Amino acid sequence: MFKFLKEKLKKTVENISNKFKKEEIKEEVKPKAEIKEIKIEKIQEKKKEIKGEVVEGKIKEKKGFFEVVKEKITTTTIEGDKFEELFYDLELVLLENNVAVEVVEKIKNDLKRYLVDKPIKRGKIEETIEDSLRYSIGNLFIDTINFLEQVKAKKPYVICFVGINGGGKTTTIAKVANYLQNNGLNCVIAAADTFRAASIEQLEEHADKLGVKLIKHDYGADPAAVAFDAIEHAKAKGKDVVLIDTAGRLHSNEDLINEMKKIVRVAKPDMTIFIGESITGNDCVLQAQKFSEAVKLDGIILTKADIDEKGGAAISIGYITKKPILFLGVGQKYNDLKEFNKEEIIKSIGL
Amino acid sequence: MAIDNLGTKLKESLRKLTRGVFVDKKQIEELVKDIQRALLSADVNVKQVFELTSKIKQRALEEKEPKGIDKRTHIVNIVYEELVNFLGKEEHGIKIENKKPFKIMMVGLFGSGKTTSIGKLAKYYSKRGYKIGTVGLDVHRPAAPEQLKQVCDAIKVDCFIDKKEKDALNIYKKFEKEFKNYDILIIDTAGRDALSQDLIKEIRELNNLIKPDERLLVISADIGQAAQKQAEAFHESCNITGVLVTKMDGTAKAGGSLSACSVTKAPIKFIGIGEKVDDLEVYNPEGFVSRLLGMGDLKSLLEKAREAITEEQAQELGSKFIKGDFNLIDLYQQMEAMSKMGPLGKIMEMIPGMGQLELPKDFLKVQEDKLKRWKHAMQSMTKKELEDPTEISRSRIDRISLGSGVSGKEVRELIKQYKMSKKLMKSLGNVDDPSKLMRKFKGKLPKGFMSM
Repeated sequence: MFKFLKEKLKKTVENISNKFKKEEIKEEVKPKAEIKEIKIEKIQEKKKEIKGEVVEGKIKEKKGFFEVVKEKITTTTIEGDKFEELFYDLELVLLENNVAVEVVEKIKNDLKRYLVDKPIKRGKIEETIEDSLRYSIGNLFIDTINFLEQVKAKKPYVICFVGINGGGKTTTIAKVANYLQNNGLNCVIAAADTFRAASIEQLEEHADKLGVKLIKHDYGADPAAVAFDAIEHAKAKGKDVVLIDTAGRLHSNEDLINEMKKIVRVAKPDMTIFIGESITGNDCVLQAQKFSEAVKLDGIILTKADIDEKGGAAISIGYITKKPILFLGVGQKYNDLKEFNKEEIIKSIGL
Repeated sequence: MAIDNLGTKLKESLRKLTRGVFVDKKQIEELVKDIQRALLSADVNVKQVFELTSKIKQRALEEKEPKGIDKRTHIVNIVYEELVNFLGKEEHGIKIENKKPFKIMMVGLFGSGKTTSIGKLAKYYSKRGYKIGTVGLDVHRPAAPEQLKQVCDAIKVDCFIDKKEKDALNIYKKFEKEFKNYDILIIDTAGRDALSQDLIKEIRELNNLIKPDERLLVISADIGQAAQKQAEAFHESCNITGVLVTKMDGTAKAGGSLSACSVTKAPIKFIGIGEKVDDLEVYNPEGFVSRLLGMGDLKSLLEKAREAITEEQAQELGSKFIKGDFNLIDLYQQMEAMSKMGPLGKIMEMIPGMGQLELPKDFLKVQEDKLKRWKHAMQSMTKKELEDPTEISRSRIDRISLGSGVSGKEVRELIKQYKMSKKLMKSLGNVDDPSKLMRKFKGKLPKGFMSM
């Protein structure tokens, strides 16, 4: 993930500053000529000033004047119009890397605020743009939480997984169960997807392989009841964690969203995790938004991160839900669950 | 939501273009940028978007408008033409050849909906009288064979699976003899990342063994810019012949699937529009366009944009209607404008409240033909007659009938309808709320005519 974005971003920032430098060359000639004049003037003025200063006591103001001159020689500014022009390329790079339009707008506005009409040191244009970009994108991610610590805080700790169809909920649950078991926590899984064909059998196979208890009803059963039973089972048997698998649902389907609300109402999960796909395009914004409107989300797991080298969806979903990304799903094996690290990601973007 | 606004924004810039006195480079650039934004936020591949819009821009700047068409109309035409070229014009299903079995192989990423779509396709074709068999070759995902089995059992379609065998090729070979009893065989394969070499090797081997007639790439409507590379790799491994887009009942604009089409040169053939087994439709480009750009039917929108009647004229006409003092010239203008907007059914859908009206099945068709004939009749009227239809005497009706080829009965009907609708308009008085207007209409419509 992010390989693509990294390369492109680097190049674009370079291009932008190059473009900017080129345009500056002509202008730069002028200030240099001015310097000489100003210097001469300065010396003369200084003499006058010294007298004047003593008389008028305007030392500070005069110092300010020198600084203005100095700044004029060593710094530059990006004007509003030029910003639009220069950053169009950057906008495209972000879009190409699957960052949602809305989030691109936000990054652009951030940069505008940081860069437009602000003095920037000559020779440090690239650095300044990069800094601003790092700051802006870094702020889009919420700092992650210590997942294990949270889960250990309560017994049984109930986690509900929600998301749209085909996002990889069931596979992810198997991975999370594996992760928790490896960390000495006992799990029980609730097969609360009673809709999709063979969803129960799929979980059964995972549960068998992992040696995890599975609580199931029949197809068409009330998913909330399955969740409830699993929690009761965990209480009775002293299990540490309950993982609830729910049916995939589109955020546009009112009835299914209500069903999800009911599961959450009944199970009262300690944590609700949204499973998103890193290959999703602009729609991830709306998906994440609708789900987080319907139920209180606490974290996100992004699946199929090994498929997509662009990584824009991570940026978008993180920003829209304002919830931490807990893990990335990076493959087909149980161990292919990677803890999400904000710093690492930003580094891997090349910022 | 920014995305919801995109259609509106595009509409606005089109309108600005059609209303403005001059068309300058800046306006064209603005329009192009709006089109870009709309397409990009619909997940259309960045490169494709730029190819398309640079074509539009170039043509808009360089092409000289044909005689009789002003610059603005011409630009709107260009936009429309290029968009249509881009999105394709035809409907595509699968042409089932008469051989036993006709083989359809489904490939795609994990979780794109292959197995679910197989159920839908099987239902679609078994409803049309074909004998369907399916075979489950997903040996990787837990319980994949069971899923196919359950899907097929529910629609009573035969399904061949072997839960123990871990080699997809062997499963196919094992049942191969039985397949000739079926008209269509649909083959389920494992979901895969098309950039993973092992899985691609498997699909290549399967393709060589099975030699499917149709290789459908199943792609989720919400896929983003990753679509391009995935489609490329799938295409390389088994030469895709068609695309099936799933989850079209969500809010995704499905622009990613267009990348798949452009890479594979294969058209979209079906779309999945829901969770039920019947929720499958043959792809319809027009509906797709409206979804992609987040607005109503693009064609009618553009037609409307270049409509001869300006907003002010329309308003004036509207108030004339309400006052009840409109004449046949106004009516003619309205009809003319309406015929430009497409079939009546479409227009009805676009008018709020009209969609819910239950009309006799061929009502619209009949009305449409009638309108056409009335238009002919009006063309044979003098200006005076048009301005004051009450003046039209019997001998005049005969003359009009002879001149236009419309029967005297129909001309009389036109005049009658004119009087009726004039009365109707008057009785409606000052109704501000269009939905109320529609309700009033509801009782009177089947007999009355479509003067609005």
